[in-house]
Amino acid sequence: MIKDIHKRKFIFNLLTGITYISLSKLLFLKKVNAKNKPNVVILGSGIGGASCLKYLNKISDLINLIVIDKNKKIRTGPFSNLVIGDIMEEADITFFLNKKKYNNVKFIFDEAKYIDSNKKFIEFSDGNKINFDYLIISPGIGYKENIIDGYRINDKVSVPHCWDGDGDLNYFKKRLGVLENNSLIIISSPDYPYRCPPAPYERASLISNYFKKKKINVKVLILDSKDSFTKQQNFFKEWSFYYKNTIEWVSRKNGGKVVFFDRKSNLVKNDQGESFKADFINIIPDQKAAPIIFNSNLVSNNDDWCQINPITFQLINFKDIYVVGDSINAWDMPKSAFSANSQAKVLSLNLINRILEKDYIDPVFLNTCYSFSKDDRAFSISAWYRLNSSEDRIVSLGSSESQVRLNSTETIKEAKHAYGWYKTLVNDIFL
Amino acid sequence: MKKISFALFIFICSNCFSDENKINIIVENCRACHNVNINVKEIPYIYDLPKIKFIELMLSYKKQKDNNVMTRINRVLSEDDIRKIADLMYD
Ligand SMILES: Cc1cc2nc3c(=O)[nH]c(=O)nc-3n(C[C@H](O)[C@H](O)[C@H](O)COP(=O)(O)OP(=O)(O)OC[C@H]3O[C@@H](n4cnc5c(N)ncnc54)[C@H](O)[C@@H]3O)c2cc1C
Repeated sequence: MIKDIHKRKFIFNLLTGITYISLSKLLFLKKVNAKNKPNVVILGSGIGGASCLKYLNKISDLINLIVIDKNKKIRTGPFSNLVIGDIMEEADITFFLNKKKYNNVKFIFDEAKYIDSNKKFIEFSDGNKINFDYLIISPGIGYKENIIDGYRINDKVSVPHCWDGDGDLNYFKKRLGVLENNSLIIISSPDYPYRCPPAPYERASLISNYFKKKKINVKVLILDSKDSFTKQQNFFKEWSFYYKNTIEWVSRKNGGKVVFFDRKSNLVKNDQGESFKADFINIIPDQKAAPIIFNSNLVSNNDDWCQINPITFQLINFKDIYVVGDSINAWDMPKSAFSANSQAKVLSLNLINRILEKDYIDPVFLNTCYSFSKDDRAFSISAWYRLNSSEDRIVSLGSSESQVRLNSTETIKEAKHAYGWYKTLVNDIFL
Repeated sequence: MKKISFALFIFICSNCFSDENKINIIVENCRACHNVNINVKEIPYIYDLPKIKFIELMLSYKKQKDNNVMTRINRVLSEDDIRKIADLMYD
């Protein structure tokens, strides 16, 4: 009972406190009728898009809410390394948006080919078009071509990258599954900025963990395009304890930068001319905003990422287009699911405020990013963010990491928190 | 050491959110892990705590020396922020 009272009050606070929805809704309803309800389209229903959907659904009687995704099933980036490491199943990280929760929403499962920002429509490959009044884009990432000679992004057979939800996870696992004793795996880790900075090192850990459990000797060589990486000391400690002589990390200045790939002989070369032949190569490509952004000319010439207004997430120079998640330059914020979810809250609440002609809220963001080193060991980095004094960028209030220590109950507790965060997130936005 | 602590103190104080209209969005961010509708066994469900217990718990993180995730997240919140968060959540 007490719980219920708190729950009700809390929900009430959220609806009234943040956006004054109830009162404004009435005023807004007076102005609009069914015919001129604005079309709000969300393109991409991954973490950022689904988080926006959750909030905008609260005013779905005031707007025509349309969601577009090329995939019916959303497979999350978070915990995909645990699937690779055979700790979870692919089904555990694959979700369908719960249509019962979103019964006022129209879903279109098709790939958007082009966004016309002037005429305000989205076009699909069959020529069909959807008009929008407000468009939210959360399309994830795209990949830079021509960074590694001989490597093609679409060649997911010889070198699956497994860095998005587009299907190569099981194949990746199959390739691992056939490796024998004394095999060498190479992970080429990308240069900044890229989606989930600690994930290449989490992947190396969980692949090593998988082979250790199978009692197969495998070496994982990380060739890095960077000279340092996030949570480095935590990873190093864990590796020295659990994966001694199994994981080797080569920094950029020591020859980690991969510049050449030969598919036939399965080897890579670094920028110092050294060759490394492996049994399995995982090139994680350098990244940029998703293809739909470039195909629709939504970035200026030399930009790799969308430039946005940090209060509204409105794309600079495009009045009614908003971008969130990995495709934006979010200044100090890393590209993570936690960040995308936090940004989506601000975007949605301020878009609701715009539609209801209310003042914008002043944003605050949070990110906590967990990394696993084993089934039951994880550590995290977290930070709050707010706007700088000129309100034109998002700045960190100082990020801090788990203490570097071994065998501590805290590391086990953090693993539990990580599972808890994931369950909460996916339940909140997908189920 | 003292110097470092003082610098940290100044940093933390100057970074408190306090601004009232920010409390709502802070709480909304807390919901990423502590969702009122979702009770997972790995994360404490805080909504059925008495308000005073919640405040005590949050303040106790400030005294903790370890670096667990809640201690770190709490660092930026002032006592005033914590009380306002509690008001929003429990009143
Ligand atoms: C290995 C790995 C581990 C990770 N671990 C973590 C973690 O532990 N914690 C964490 O916080 N983050 C983690 N991440 C990062 C996280 O996955 C991303 O930051 C997050 O998914 C970003 O959300 P988004 O909405 O920008 O993109 P996405 O979630 O990728 O969503 C994009 C959606 O857009 C759709 N789409 C794209 N283009 C089109 C188009 N033209 N037409 C129709 N639909 C389209 C896609 O199908 C997709 O559903 C990890 C990522 C990886 C790769």
